[in-house]
Amino acid sequence: MSDTPLVVENLSFRYRDRTDTAIRNISFEAKPGEVLLIAGASGCGKTTLIRCLNGLIPRSYKGEISGSVRVFGEDTSTWKLAQISQKIGTVLQDPERQILGTRVLNEVAFGLENLGLPREEILERADEALRFLKIFHLRERETFTLSGGEKQKVALAGVLAMRPSILLLDEPLASLDPASAQDALDTARFLADQGMTILMVEHRVEDVLRIKPERVMFMSGGEIRYLGSLSGLSKVVNYREVKLPAKEIVERAKQDPPPAEIRILPGAAGKGESEALVRFEDVAFGYEADVEVLHGINLEIRRGDVIAVVGPNGAGKTTFVKHAIGLLKPKRGRVLVNGRDTREASVAQIASTLGYVFQSPSHMLFAPTVYDELAFGPKNLKHAKEQIEQEVKEALRIVNLSAQEQDPPLALSFGQQKRVSIAAILAMQSRILVMDEPTAGQDYQNYMNFMDSILQLPTFEAILFITHDVDLAVIYANRVLIVNEGRLVADGTPQEVLRDFDRLKANRLVPTSLLALNLERFPATGRFMKAEALAHI
Amino acid sequence: MGEGETMLVAWKYRKRENSFIQSFDPRAWLIFYACYLVGLVTFWDVRYLLPFFGVALFVLFTSGVKWHEIRRAFLFIVGFVFFFAILTFLTGRGGVEHYQQEHLIRQFKASFSILGWVPTLDITVERVFYAISQFVKVSSLAIMTILIPYSLDPRLYGITFKGLGLNDKFAYAMDLTMRFIPTFARDFQLTVDAQRARGYELEKLSGGLVEQVRKMGPIFVPVIIHAIIGSEDIIDAMDLRAFGIGPRTWIDVLERRRRDDILIRIGVVLLLASVMLGVLGLGNFWVPDALLTLAGG
Repeated sequence: MSDTPLVVENLSFRYRDRTDTAIRNISFEAKPGEVLLIAGASGCGKTTLIRCLNGLIPRSYKGEISGSVRVFGEDTSTWKLAQISQKIGTVLQDPERQILGTRVLNEVAFGLENLGLPREEILERADEALRFLKIFHLRERETFTLSGGEKQKVALAGVLAMRPSILLLDEPLASLDPASAQDALDTARFLADQGMTILMVEHRVEDVLRIKPERVMFMSGGEIRYLGSLSGLSKVVNYREVKLPAKEIVERAKQDPPPAEIRILPGAAGKGESEALVRFEDVAFGYEADVEVLHGINLEIRRGDVIAVVGPNGAGKTTFVKHAIGLLKPKRGRVLVNGRDTREASVAQIASTLGYVFQSPSHMLFAPTVYDELAFGPKNLKHAKEQIEQEVKEALRIVNLSAQEQDPPLALSFGQQKRVSIAAILAMQSRILVMDEPTAGQDYQNYMNFMDSILQLPTFEAILFITHDVDLAVIYANRVLIVNEGRLVADGTPQEVLRDFDRLKANRLVPTSLLALNLERFPATGRFMKAEALAHI
Repeated sequence: MGEGETMLVAWKYRKRENSFIQSFDPRAWLIFYACYLVGLVTFWDVRYLLPFFGVALFVLFTSGVKWHEIRRAFLFIVGFVFFFAILTFLTGRGGVEHYQQEHLIRQFKASFSILGWVPTLDITVERVFYAISQFVKVSSLAIMTILIPYSLDPRLYGITFKGLGLNDKFAYAMDLTMRFIPTFARDFQLTVDAQRARGYELEKLSGGLVEQVRKMGPIFVPVIIHAIIGSEDIIDAMDLRAFGIGPRTWIDVLERRRRDDILIRIGVVLLLASVMLGVLGLGNFWVPDALLTLAGG
């Protein structure tokens, strides 16, 4: 038996129904106590690599595989999944999708129950995993009442209870608020320091750097483009592809021409003084009769506003924003859109002035082609045929999907689907745009590009987006709202709201290197901007 | 909570103090419930059905379920049952297999005619009693069924089915299925919301039946696709934790006590008695003789 936990040699895989290989000639080793960060754009093959390692390929996903995966010197190709899962634990991208148990204890014990261990041993090992992750107090809770960060820890506990030596974390930060993300990273570091081998797939490279991963693998087009120490990464990858710390971007961007100036909301300019497009008057709401989740929100969205709504998981951000389009009606107070009470208008009527992009694209995609999907909204709003064609083409251009116009949306990757869902609303040509976590599950380069484009569209008079990414607020917003426990905790310009680090921490937000750099340069710049732009000032 | 959730949601179960239904082992209750169902469907005689109705009401009022929790589901089902009882009453259809002859109490004739047809409502003894029997029967069934998700601890679903003799895989699949229903309902709502935000109006569906179904595509396609994708993730998650490799340990333990045995016995006696009475030809549709005489029969 070899001491090296994981040796991958010449691994290639092609999915049965695809013509091109998903990954090619992947070779690497991973050592005990090491955090290996795996980064790369959507579709680079990260998820396929993970599936090859944990055995879902070729056991659940069929196709053509070559090369080898060896765990402590043994080739896993003949192993059963159950055998692999005791050596290699996997926490899938979305913890909500892998939690099966109704109660935390049942969830953590699930794998051990399947192994048929004696009941006492299961309880002992489950409790040990819960204590290890400091979540023993959650033991009896029902899993669907947990916060995002808690769900992830519970999912992790379920995997750790099986005592694997290697842990695969597939985009562990994707659905977490910044403080929970930091917590998740600290946990990963802690596990590695205990001797585990951690492979972490993550877009948010800058965040992971804080826990000093021993090595970074950068994948692109199914191949390894870089594998080595952190310091070498920024030399081989483009700073537009991967989010690097702000100071490094500034260094690198100095050699490039300055980025084009973003003219936000050209449609709002010169249209007169800040008129209230949407007005919240003492809005209170609760899903159940006796539990209030929003408590008296007062707010005006004015022409020219680009608003970032930030705050912890479960703070009521989505509930709050759904009131703007009338999907939820206040229990107390009222919401006015264009001066009209949302109680007196149908959602469809409001939709013609206010476009709302949902968090998850899979809840809305249905049409046979991307074109039809995008034409659906404008058709419902009774736009003319020629106009619809123009609107659809323009929306596709913005989200960089013109080539996929005739493809079925359901066959696209998650990132592409998300962009279709955004384009479907863009095509409706509303005056106000509301987006719930527009960048979730997107790679850095893609979301920066479409955010740039959306902000510069002439149609919108105001934009509001919910995000966990403080940098999006820094770069794009001219107004930031912090929502916590159903209340509006702060409302002001980014420089006013984000300057107060104590307040950020109290609301589970974490200052970023870009924020720090912008604050430092603020006396000279007078406003917040991208790191690339800072490089030229 | 965000709207992008995909995890399984549980029914509105709560541990309720002094609840009669919750004082039993869920296995015992399900066995009793099955016996009750068979008994209930055997009879059409309202005199036989009323005791069943009485049991259902007793279980409802001792369940500890608060009215506000159950109100919406309950009103919907009772309304539905009532609507169908009235409908069969008005049309006179539905009961024909149970009675050949009708005894008229009163006839209402409309004072107008439509293309030569005069709308007529015959109130007959048989129709009245059929509607009453139907209402009693289906209400009993609805009450007993609706109480289960409110009273059965979801974390015991799996072990309950296992305890009823299903194998591990099947028992866990039942567990997931039970919990899939509310998740499905929530996904459905999210999709309706997402499409409404794109100007889609479910209320304004027009055209023939086929056309209407076609226009429901924006709702059904995402809901179904979501369900499929969701189940793939669930299968991956189960595979990755060694599900189905061999005999499974269940950490929850069910305890069968004396009262559970008694309940099962009562259920079995009920079942046997019902079947026997059915075989003897008792419990069929019944109307009081007095009424027949009154109606001039």
